[in-house]
Amino acid sequence: MAANNNPPSGLDKEQIFGMAEKEMEYRVELFNKLTHTCFNKCVEKRYKESELNMGENSCIDRCVSKYWQVTNLIGQLLGSGRPPM
Amino acid sequence: MDKSMLGDLDNLPEEDKIRMSSMIDQLQIRDSLRMYNSLVERCFNDCVDNFKHKSLQKQEETCVQRCAEKFLKHSMRVGMRFAELNQGAATQD
Repeated sequence: MAANNNPPSGLDKEQIFGMAEKEMEYRVELFNKLTHTCFNKCVEKRYKESELNMGENSCIDRCVSKYWQVTNLIGQLLGSGRPPM
Repeated sequence: MDKSMLGDLDNLPEEDKIRMSSMIDQLQIRDSLRMYNSLVERCFNDCVDNFKHKSLQKQEETCVQRCAEKFLKHSMRVGMRFAELNQGAATQD
């Protein structure tokens, strides 16, 4: 990352690792919430069988896609710096 | 989440790679334990309503098995789609 030959100061490195850890935690939580949300929306609770049927598979694919789009939308809104209404 | 994330980190010095790798390990362990608890809670809530008996009835046991298998398959599928989206792959509507 540094263009020069000086190693980053101890503080910078810790901050970088801290940020990387937060980023990874965020991704894990995003995945978990996505998984739970789409299961709730797409899979019937009666559990007639242990396989996912075709309808559920399609629903899951679309749910993941839409969830991802919402994530990006909100990210843009938050990132724009405008105060939320 | 797996070590393939480390592919991006090839340029890091060895000690940093080790540190990142250990961070990922810890997150993985924590995530597995959390998944275990949440799966138990989910399948219990969906399958067990009746407390006339102390032991799980056959029907409840079957329900829990299906619930767990279904959720794990679902989770794998979500993982695949999530990875595709992360890589920016376009998919059919």
